[in-house]
Amino acid sequence: MYWAKKLASMLFTLLLVSVLTFLALFLLPGDPAMLILGTEADARSLELVRNQLGLDQPITTQYLNWLKGVLQGDFGESYTFSRGYSIAKLVACALHVTIPLAAGAIVLSLAFAIPLGTLAAGRRGGTLDKIILFFAQAGLSIPAFWLGILAIQFFAVYLGWFPPGNMPRWAADPLGAAASLVLPAVVLALPRTAVLTRIVRTAMLETLQEDYIRTARGKGVAESTVIFKHGLSNALIATSTVAGIQLIQLVAGTVVVEQVFSLPGLGRLILSAVLLRDLPLVQGAVFVGTAIVLTVNFLLDCLYPILDPRIKEVW
Amino acid sequence: MRRLISTGIVVMFLLVFTAGCSSTQTSDSAVVAIPTDPEGFHPHHSVAAASGEIAFNIYEGLVKAAPDGSVIPALAEKWSISPDGLKYTFTLREKVKFHNGRDLTAEDVVYCLSRLIDPEISGKAVDFAGVESIEAEGNNVIISLQAPNAAFLALLTESGAAVYPPEEEENLFTRPVGTGPFVLAQWEPNSQLVLEKFADYWHPDLPKLAQVVLKIIPEPATAVNSLRTGHVDLIPRLEAEYLHQVEDAPDLKIIDSPMNLIQLLIINNAVPPFDDIRVRKAINYAVDREEIIEGAAWGMGSAVGSIISPAMDFWYKDLTGTYPHDPEQARALLAEAGYPDGFSASLHLPAPYPLHCSAGEILAAQLSRVGIDLNIQVVEWGTWLEQIYTNREFELTVVGLTGRLDPHTMLNRYQSGSGRNTSNFSSQEYDELLALGLQETDPEQRVAIYRELQSILAREAVNVFIMDPNQLAVMQENLQGWNNYPVYVLDLAALFWAK
Repeated sequence: MYWAKKLASMLFTLLLVSVLTFLALFLLPGDPAMLILGTEADARSLELVRNQLGLDQPITTQYLNWLKGVLQGDFGESYTFSRGYSIAKLVACALHVTIPLAAGAIVLSLAFAIPLGTLAAGRRGGTLDKIILFFAQAGLSIPAFWLGILAIQFFAVYLGWFPPGNMPRWAADPLGAAASLVLPAVVLALPRTAVLTRIVRTAMLETLQEDYIRTARGKGVAESTVIFKHGLSNALIATSTVAGIQLIQLVAGTVVVEQVFSLPGLGRLILSAVLLRDLPLVQGAVFVGTAIVLTVNFLLDCLYPILDPRIKEVW
Repeated sequence: MRRLISTGIVVMFLLVFTAGCSSTQTSDSAVVAIPTDPEGFHPHHSVAAASGEIAFNIYEGLVKAAPDGSVIPALAEKWSISPDGLKYTFTLREKVKFHNGRDLTAEDVVYCLSRLIDPEISGKAVDFAGVESIEAEGNNVIISLQAPNAAFLALLTESGAAVYPPEEEENLFTRPVGTGPFVLAQWEPNSQLVLEKFADYWHPDLPKLAQVVLKIIPEPATAVNSLRTGHVDLIPRLEAEYLHQVEDAPDLKIIDSPMNLIQLLIINNAVPPFDDIRVRKAINYAVDREEIIEGAAWGMGSAVGSIISPAMDFWYKDLTGTYPHDPEQARALLAEAGYPDGFSASLHLPAPYPLHCSAGEILAAQLSRVGIDLNIQVVEWGTWLEQIYTNREFELTVVGLTGRLDPHTMLNRYQSGSGRNTSNFSSQEYDELLALGLQETDPEQRVAIYRELQSILAREAVNVFIMDPNQLAVMQENLQGWNNYPVYVLDLAALFWAK
């Protein structure tokens, strides 16, 4: 029953998002035919292009046609990119960039945040704690695009360690592709690391004040066991919630970094599609993005009972 | 020990990453940075500029544009025009092959051009409305016109007039098949296009490179960094604001020339107070073009006084002296028109074009000195096209209009009732002379007519024609053979590496 409810609400959210995207684009001024023809357009050529794209049909017909296609697994074809490329393929290509990038960034930030947060909590009020908190504050305040530009100038242009953008295909050059993702993943990871470090630290401090910690210490358990086994494993519950939200933000919110590093990811695809009023492409990409976000949420829900067996009893 | 292991891991990582980004430059290939994906390669349906500039290397028409803007033979080896200007006879080059291996025939040309002029199929049919018939006769293609049209040959150089094998019609969007020097071998949307040498190209010496990779890099800063680190060999159109990052680089060179694009302040001639010629003249006197060129284009542009670019010097009339920068005169004219204290108006600027936005900001400061207070609104391109270009709900806007090879297609923007007449200009004298220009077959007379049309636009102070910004092509020092064209194409066939 719980699962059925969960699934139904997921499907309803997807449908709602698709209607809202459709309406939002419809209400924006500018139409794709005008954007295709630019400053050479006149009434006749506009009419011809609208007719070829099916834009002369009423909005409800356009939406229902789109929905019918999606139900059959067909996202249709884009206006902007050649009509021979299906939207499914365009979105799939973009996910080959965005998913490794988001995953890399989140793994990187967890890898730094957990030890740093734990360390800071263990030395509460000490010099190390202050230094870590200072960097966490700085990491939060630095804008990603600025850091990205600096990182490109130093690591790509000056040192030549990484390519300054334009990622090759995974199949053609896997090492090159991975190399192009390193700097953007670090840039994306930095503010997330900052947030997560503070979360881990706070959660650890709270946990360390619990009675069972005092009991453990009292019966002579080694301090490392207290911190890692009893403390950290409980602090991770709060951390996983925040990390999940961060991951969701990363799937949808890498557009600035994708733009700075010229990565052909989902954010850039949606942005260019909106600017060109490429309705089916926006629809398809937003739909897939929403589906991913919902799935991540769902998986997180499944993760809680593993981290905290008490939740299982509530289910 | 532990330290040793961690150092080892770091070194390994660095090795892996540096190996991944070593330059792939070889002597027979080049990497070119372009800002956007083409929209597809069907000559009759893909009309975006980004498609046309690449398609130039894949398809050919009967004739094509040369770097100096003249019309030169392509698939047609030669042509003749009947004395009355109505009949064009094109003789096809022998043994021209399509990329699919088949020989080009006159019937293929007739098929493609007939679709181009069919308003049910092609958006470009409007330009070809005066074509009476297109016929094949042996190795000749004969095109008859209803009335003489001196712009006709130049129209045939445009990307829509490309010839492709009819049997490939279905897949042309993503798998273009033409007769050009390059074959499209791969297209990864949002990432790159790979052009490979067509071995059976009719010109024995072209193309010189075996492969050209077109990388899609929307951010100019990334393109510049890629060029400086050797990941890219050529940026055909660099924004002037990035010039300082490359001009002192020892391994790079810049080729610049007027790009045949007119940046102008479009004035809506139909709304008050701009329906008063004295107000329009006042604005013209108030503008200091040199200051705009210096401030917005870093000095890389030529001042113009006409909708025709100096790049088209055959047709161009230098009218920059009509309204010299004279704020006193501007204030006097405003007072005469009943605005001694000036007035306020709105200025719309297109967000994706920093060149036009900066120019608009400088222009607003200049106009404020004569009492015209401009309220600047930066709008997104889609909004600009609908609200300003199509619906003409605006007072003033700054934009760039791309030049064509023939002046008629530029000058007919000011024809009464034209769908492209954003300025709402209307003059019977102008319309009549424009019609006359199309029918005139004597080249000298025709030039005189087009120069007179430009004079009318200046005399009526229809718009403020600001500048033709330079096309800045930046490339590796030893890359040779690049030409800037006065039309929107990338000519990749002549590129080669100096030894």
